[in-house]
Amino acid sequence: MPIYYYLFFAITVIEFFVSFMATVHLGKYKNSTEYYFFHFLWFTFFMELVAGILGNVFEINTKWIYNIYMLISFSFYFHWYRSILKRKEFRNTVLVFIILFVCTSLWNFAFQDWNYYHKYTFVTGALFTMVCTLFHFGQLLGSDEVLDIRRNLSFWISTGLLLFNMGMVPLMLLSRNLNFSELHYFVLIVTLNLILYGCYSIGFLWTREKYNRY
Amino acid sequence: MDQGEVQSLLIVFTGIALSLAITVVTLFILFQRRKNRLLQQRNREREAFERELSETQIEIREETLRHISWELHDNIGQLVTLAKIQVQLHEDQNAQLKEASNTIGRAIQELRALSKLINPEALKNLSLPEAVQMEMDRFNRMRFLEASLVVKGKPRPLGNKEEIIMFRILQEFFSNTTKHSKASSLGVQLVYSQRDLTIRAKDNGVGFLPEDGEHSGIGLTNMRNRAKLIGAQLEITSEKKQGTQLKMQYNFVD
Repeated sequence: MPIYYYLFFAITVIEFFVSFMATVHLGKYKNSTEYYFFHFLWFTFFMELVAGILGNVFEINTKWIYNIYMLISFSFYFHWYRSILKRKEFRNTVLVFIILFVCTSLWNFAFQDWNYYHKYTFVTGALFTMVCTLFHFGQLLGSDEVLDIRRNLSFWISTGLLLFNMGMVPLMLLSRNLNFSELHYFVLIVTLNLILYGCYSIGFLWTREKYNRY
Repeated sequence: MDQGEVQSLLIVFTGIALSLAITVVTLFILFQRRKNRLLQQRNREREAFERELSETQIEIREETLRHISWELHDNIGQLVTLAKIQVQLHEDQNAQLKEASNTIGRAIQELRALSKLINPEALKNLSLPEAVQMEMDRFNRMRFLEASLVVKGKPRPLGNKEEIIMFRILQEFFSNTTKHSKASSLGVQLVYSQRDLTIRAKDNGVGFLPEDGEHSGIGLTNMRNRAKLIGAQLEITSEKKQGTQLKMQYNFVD
């Protein structure tokens, strides 16, 4: 059994940990739009668990599950950004992102093999998400929230998303050109997941209720 | 693992780690700078607000004093003058009326002096030593206490606003002396030098303990705020039964 088999479950464990953190600290953000993340993180964990079991125990190709998850997760992020961004231009841009992303995703579902990872869907979603995080940082920098930014959960979510996607995009684009072993590939992905969910966890830990009202 | 694999792994890993690190550092610097700017801006706003508040308080006070000064001079002064004339008309009939007329005359003099000292317009035409001297003369005439003024160095003008505010601080100190201290003497010293003006005022009254809540109240706070407004340093020291001292220093050059 290859070693990345365990690494694969490492991501699931990290996701369980962050969902657990989200549950413990729920009281701090349940009145804000970040409340969506509570559901979303548990959903991610169960999806990963089911896909992991199906793929590794029953040896079914689960790439299609990830492709569907990709569509759902990026749509979720865009929706969330649309609800927290205040400037109309930003919100309209995110709406365009949603449309373009869903079209890309559906196009790939229609014309690509479901048994392969739809990396262009991912790259499109990731690039758009990064732009959204920059919009969000711009909004934070222009507001008084910057005075105690570490208490702001949305700041940590955006930081995690920016760093994760910055690492993932080149990895996705170059994966075919690089002669990586699957193990190294997974090490990098686990590391990036650690950064993403690490940022989320810090956010849940440090945030205070009064900083999370929209 | 062949060499090519190691190389590409190293390149990709370094590339990703570097870009992540740069992003984190940039984010940190951006947010920190913005935060500092915002904090500085808030400080400036707070200072401006406090300044505005102090200035408004002074303005209201000066306005009130101006009003009282006019009333004293134009209304009460006229009535007392009229009373003096009426008494003078019958002076030769009664010796006591002559004495009363003299007393009323002194009252008119006091009224005029007081009216002048509290009127900001009148103060503008007086130098700080002149205004303080008038106040000292007033105390001496009233025989409340023995007041004296010593001026050292060559007096130089400070600007209307500064002089009035300094004089008001001194008046506040004198008012505390006459009201609370039971002092029998009050000495004021103005020392002019090239660089600064140092004002010392000292009474020999009962004094107070600086930590005594009652005395460190609004009066002292107001004096300090006013001194701050014109950039003067104010120090008030006191000990029980040792009197109270005021030291105020104003720099001509910043």
